[in-house]
Amino acid sequence: MKTRLKVARAEQNRSQAEVAEAIGVSRQTINSIETGRYVPSTVLALKLARLFETPVEALFQLEETD
Amino acid sequence: MKTGFLFPHRYRLIGWVVFVPSLVLGLAYMYADFGFEFLTVFVPEKSEVRGWKIDGWPINLTDELAALGIVAGLLMVGFSKEKTEDEMVSRLRLDALQWSVYVNYGILAVAILLVHGSEFLQVMTYNLFTVLLVFVVRFRWLVFRNAQASLPALAL
Repeated sequence: MKTRLKVARAEQNRSQAEVAEAIGVSRQTINSIETGRYVPSTVLALKLARLFETPVEALFQLEETD
Repeated sequence: MKTGFLFPHRYRLIGWVVFVPSLVLGLAYMYADFGFEFLTVFVPEKSEVRGWKIDGWPINLTDELAALGIVAGLLMVGFSKEKTEDEMVSRLRLDALQWSVYVNYGILAVAILLVHGSEFLQVMTYNLFTVLLVFVVRFRWLVFRNAQASLPALAL
């Protein structure tokens, strides 16, 4: 799964810590999602989408290998 | 995030405080013949255990105390919430648990093949704790490695 969370975060000028606090996870978790080390649950993906006021698929998309 | 069956974060420290002295006590009992006198109890006279009549058989409970302390300590260390307990930590915990079960039974399989007779009792003694011990070490390592991998992003 590929993500443009980092780009979306930069567009809205939010730090990892801000995003983490807003949705109730650690900063390491946001970092891990951005670098592809961790695939978030549906609930977490929906929370991120709501925070960035965007559809989930604007943040996360399937890859060929998925 | 909802987390079931986890101790509050402060129990991690309590777990270490219980585990370390219990481990030392257990090793002292096994290898230095150490035992607390006040933990010696006697089975009541003329009690019957599996058909055997026993008169005042002394039992020292030092090793029982050590074993329970090791188990309780490791459980608290391994199953206390992190400062920020979220779904990724749960995932790391589950990964560590799976890994420790594989490693534990791998080691046990080797021991089954190589250790025989009464010495195997010692293997079983250690084996009581290795799943939890390997799990705690692996879990702490995964959390540490994950934190390290996230460090460069602090500059952003």
